[in-house]
Amino acid sequence: MSSTITKLNAPLTQAFDFQPSSELQLIPTPTLNTLAQQLAGFDTLTSALEYAAEGVTGYNFYDARGNLRSILPYGLLRQNARITAQRLSGFNLPRGSRVAIVADTSPEFVELFFACRYAGLVPFAMPIPVNLGSHAIYVQQLRGMLESSQASIALANIDYIGFLEEAAAGVRHIAWVGTPAKLSELPILDVELKSNHPDETAYLQFTSGSTRTPRGVVITERALMCNLQGIVRNGLEIKPDDRSASWLPFYHDMGLVGLVLAPMVAQISVDYLATRDFAIRPLQWLRLISRNRCSVAFSQPFGLKLCTLRVRESDLKELDLSCWRAAGIGAEMIRPETLRNFAEKFASAGFDENAFLPCYGLAESTLAVTFSKIGRGCKSIQVDSKTLIDKRMAARLQADGRKQNEFVNCGRPLPGHIVKIVDENGQQLSEMMVGSVLVHGDSVMTGYYNNPEETNKALKSGNWLDTGDIGFLFEGDLFITGRRTDVIIVNGRNIRAQDIEELAEQQPEVRSREASAFGVNDEDGTTTIVLVIECRLTSVAERQSLIIRLQQLVYMAFGVNCVVELVPPHTLPRTSSGKLSRFAARQGYIQRTNLTGQLSFVESGDR
Amino acid sequence: MTDSNYDEIMQLLCDRLSSLTNSSAQISPETNLISQLSIDSIKLLNLIMEVEDAFDISIPINALADVQTVRELVDLVHKIKSAS
Repeated sequence: MSSTITKLNAPLTQAFDFQPSSELQLIPTPTLNTLAQQLAGFDTLTSALEYAAEGVTGYNFYDARGNLRSILPYGLLRQNARITAQRLSGFNLPRGSRVAIVADTSPEFVELFFACRYAGLVPFAMPIPVNLGSHAIYVQQLRGMLESSQASIALANIDYIGFLEEAAAGVRHIAWVGTPAKLSELPILDVELKSNHPDETAYLQFTSGSTRTPRGVVITERALMCNLQGIVRNGLEIKPDDRSASWLPFYHDMGLVGLVLAPMVAQISVDYLATRDFAIRPLQWLRLISRNRCSVAFSQPFGLKLCTLRVRESDLKELDLSCWRAAGIGAEMIRPETLRNFAEKFASAGFDENAFLPCYGLAESTLAVTFSKIGRGCKSIQVDSKTLIDKRMAARLQADGRKQNEFVNCGRPLPGHIVKIVDENGQQLSEMMVGSVLVHGDSVMTGYYNNPEETNKALKSGNWLDTGDIGFLFEGDLFITGRRTDVIIVNGRNIRAQDIEELAEQQPEVRSREASAFGVNDEDGTTTIVLVIECRLTSVAERQSLIIRLQQLVYMAFGVNCVVELVPPHTLPRTSSGKLSRFAARQGYIQRTNLTGQLSFVESGDR
Repeated sequence: MTDSNYDEIMQLLCDRLSSLTNSSAQISPETNLISQLSIDSIKLLNLIMEVEDAFDISIPINALADVQTVRELVDLVHKIKSAS
């Protein structure tokens, strides 16, 4: 017993052995706390931090080489955040004013986020640029978020401040732009920090890289606390000896809510690796888990795929992943093969496939909607493909040899939440019938900030959130079969078809409503983006130039390659109201190119 | 840092790029990584890892936002290498 505690209490300073001559002799925050664990149940984020600050656990930041770079125990976070909040008070902003923060994986980001809450301001995380040549488009995306949120303050560290200053130039409402260092030169006002009300907005979460119509999800303290409680008590059943490791970006809901805020409301320690460092060397994440005996770590399926592909056999013997009890999987469609391949590869390193914890959620419902049963691994069912397409019904496979589809069980809704499946007319469907997935409960967003049009599309009467996903229920468990055509998922990234079409329409040769974007899948599940353009150009050189320019733009904005097809005017199918139908455009493309095996049943048309 | 180092970086990058992209096309300093070589995100990660390991440097992610051609990438690596 005592030796186990010693081991758990002493995670190593370095995630792996070489480079022992680090000047910094930092010690990571321990796994076991000195404070009795309280699993959520707080009324606001700051009251949760006030409690966590009494213990010794907290956040740890590792660099690309696996060295511990900085630690931020919850006690220090509270202290720094309160001081920064007193500096922010000097701006005299009305409560609820928005503060934009470019969110790299750093202690400064977390301090600023909490400082905003202490000061009664609403923070939101903005992405960092990740694509080659993305400078101009990245600046446009930042500007879109600053305008849409009507942010008063915008912050970025020294690496990104140049982009932010460009984006903020001439934007109304913005009172101040700078780095955390510049902010720390401002005076600390001796003001009392007021506590927040559960009905106040806790933060915004942007879900789209659109420059014209960004969507900032509004999440209240109440919604956040409700979701966090469900995650730590019911989804993960967090215990005092749990520890997390994460590479997920702080500007995504799963990274921020799931791996920054959830650990804090349960007072457990977290070890962070920057997303870029994980993507280049995925082994570092597994090393952190192994060395620091982490028990809870989440990933998108794509992250697991990277580990399976890039970790060498010879690296396996130094890993002991037997401590990893909750390997949460979410944020995109889960294909059982991805999990099987990972489990097979890492079994010899002690990975237990029962640790797989498929879940389903979205930023519009704070983060989590359903969790499968912890400790049971990934369960799936096989259904008959023909019945699925013909009757939109999931029929369990009776005989071998029939063409089948396998879907992962994403489990049941968190307490206080209901999931229902409806048809095109909004009528509730019975079990096993495939339709749109709707969610109801306290975690659901208030709406998209300052965007009633998009809010009305997503929030149906009775406050049912239309998730945009397609699936069915079986014995109370949710199975996701696909997304509607308005979102394309490539390499774990959600890309809105509309955002790609917008980029195309910015070209002088492309008229509005003459571009249609969608995804097509090949046999092994790889998704390719197709952009079909109605084009009047006749010169081969001009046509070629347009194609190359469009491919380059899509790459710079989203980091993915795409196929561009130029078709004569009036080729793209339109609805009676003159709107382009992506579903029909995709069917047309599949027919023209003779693609086989396309799963047309997973989509039900455009939202 | 002498010019031979610059040429060395150029040579290594061109070699790595041609094997990563299986491209028979001649890679020159002006070759566009995005439109001509279709470097996707996975290939890009591989390339960065190899370059970082070969030259013992760390390429900051924000700098890649201003890289489109082979020459721009070589300039960046050379600048980081010279500063280290």
